Amino acid sequence: MAKWGMVIDLEKCTGCQACSTACQMENNRLPGENYQDVLYYTEGKQPTPKLQWFPRPCMQCENPSCMHVCPTKATYKTEDGVVLIDWNKCIGCKYCMIACPYGVRFYTDEKPLVEPNLKEVFKGEGDLSWNPPYKSPQQDNTKGIGIQPNGVVSKCTFCYHKISKAPKGTANLSNDDPALREFVPACVRTCPPTARYFGDLDNPNSEVNRVIAAKKGQRLLEHTGNKPQVYYVTGAGAAGGGSIPGGRSSANKA
Amino acid sequence: MTTQAQATGPVNTIMMAGAAGLVVSLGLAFANLIGSGHAAFNSGSSGVTWGLPVVTYVFFSMASTGLAMVAAMAAMFGAKQYSPLIKRCTWLSIITLVAAFSSLALEMGHPFRMLWAVPLNFQPASALVWMGIFYSICLVILAIKFAKMHGGDFSGEGLVKAGFVGEVLALGTLGSAFGLMAMRPVWYGADVPLLFIACGAVIGVAFAVLINQLAYGMDDKAMPEGVRKVMTGSLPKLFAGTLGIYLAFLLFRTVNGLWTNAEGFEVVHAMVKSPWFVIEVVALVAAFYLMINESTRNVGNMQVVAAVAAILAMFIGRYEYVIGGQLVPLFKGSWVPGLISYTPSMTEWMITLMAFCLVFAGWAFGEKSLNLAAAPAEQ
Repeated sequence: MAKWGMVIDLEKCTGCQACSTACQMENNRLPGENYQDVLYYTEGKQPTPKLQWFPRPCMQCENPSCMHVCPTKATYKTEDGVVLIDWNKCIGCKYCMIACPYGVRFYTDEKPLVEPNLKEVFKGEGDLSWNPPYKSPQQDNTKGIGIQPNGVVSKCTFCYHKISKAPKGTANLSNDDPALREFVPACVRTCPPTARYFGDLDNPNSEVNRVIAAKKGQRLLEHTGNKPQVYYVTGAGAAGGGSIPGGRSSANKA
Repeated sequence: MTTQAQATGPVNTIMMAGAAGLVVSLGLAFANLIGSGHAAFNSGSSGVTWGLPVVTYVFFSMASTGLAMVAAMAAMFGAKQYSPLIKRCTWLSIITLVAAFSSLALEMGHPFRMLWAVPLNFQPASALVWMGIFYSICLVILAIKFAKMHGGDFSGEGLVKAGFVGEVLALGTLGSAFGLMAMRPVWYGADVPLLFIACGAVIGVAFAVLINQLAYGMDDKAMPEGVRKVMTGSLPKLFAGTLGIYLAFLLFRTVNGLWTNAEGFEVVHAMVKSPWFVIEVVALVAAFYLMINESTRNVGNMQVVAAVAAILAMFIGRYEYVIGGQLVPLFKGSWVPGLISYTPSMTEWMITLMAFCLVFAGWAFGEKSLNLAAAPAEQ
């Protein structure tokens, strides 16, 4: 069984947000509740501030605190290493949102970030939060895939409806192999500079492992013990401003 | 069983005011929740996830434990002078727990799903599961104990002890639910369950003082001998002691928070600049002063002032802890250099008002209809 993981090369990332847009389309997300965001920030102060950016999906942790705190086991980890939410079991207590160190969980029964409120324009049927004119054909509440029902929490699924259909033994899911393209997560598939790599972390020959080894992949907030399965690689040759943000204290000193 | 002098205080007025407040607050809260769902709250995914209803839940859970502690003083520690308060405090412990869970239920996405989803998918690693189990057991124990007392049977200290242990475990576990969160430094720490239990003691004793004074119109001559003895004897001293311990907690947590360079504690600097923090400290110090001063300690009006001040201050303190722990945005160190802005919505305030009205209306109802003045025969 594969252990799916992702590597994001910040040397290549241009901050174009194509990943966010593809994710929005694939998973029917609205502004403010994107499973995948590119976060912009500035480093340094006037007169030499630098605009930086940082793409952030769910880290699909090996040891996810969000899963351990869930009182109903609605958040669970699949055999192939993906953290999912069973919307049928979620009670909307939001403890997982409190416990996620990366802030990548969403409760969508909230004030809209932009007007008009599209959830009012395209009202959902039954328990579903909205009924967009275009929607992905998949709706699997037990995996947190599809249109989010009211009163539950959602998160990035690594496009589980795609990757779970990949042939067994697949080491790399990338656009390079036309036969596998349909199984590639939307953010990886659409990334113009190919800054994202996706594959089996348990396979020593996979591209993700090669990049992690070659460019010293880092995981974020290691002190929490969550052990993300999303790695970031950086390098001195970064042309743009893709970078791992420092903490508050370093920002204050900058 | 001895039936003591019935309540002579403004019970009817409190019951009517509480019931009216309950109807208004619940009506407004439900209207907004039905109309806009949880968008009626100002909490959200990108900011404060747990808002004022959770603060209210934590506050009344603490009150319930504290009241169970007072009710168990005779059984647990042999302090028989507390026996005349046992029925009243047990009743209020039940009511405050109901208020706490009502507030929490209105904050959750699917409160009724919880009833089957938690037992059928038991997650032993979740502090919320154990907290729910302990509080559910406590509610049953307290209800059985109260039913027995209402039937005139004050025997069986085992139930009271079990209720005490269960409540302390439940509140400690609630403390753990916050204290386990290593990713939220203001909440994190092994001492947090102890802090919660200390808070519970302050709030519970404050409520015990308040309702016993209100029940007899703040007139110690109207009190039965047993109640008068404890209200002018050990209860105000216990109140002073719990306030003193909590003030020490507050002092050292604030100093440590201001001193440290650790990320996340910026919120403590903002907290001490808030007028609410000044109100909290002044109210706590005033209550402490009134209760350590021999000339005011045993005066009914002064006890009520101290109890109200302590309840107000402790509510502000729970707000600072629960909301403050979320004001430094998670994983957004440098691109959100400030703190998240959060002001509770009207719906959230209505849920808090609902909880307070439920407690006071429920207590007054008990006072009128359930003979809360009854006490064991030896008293």
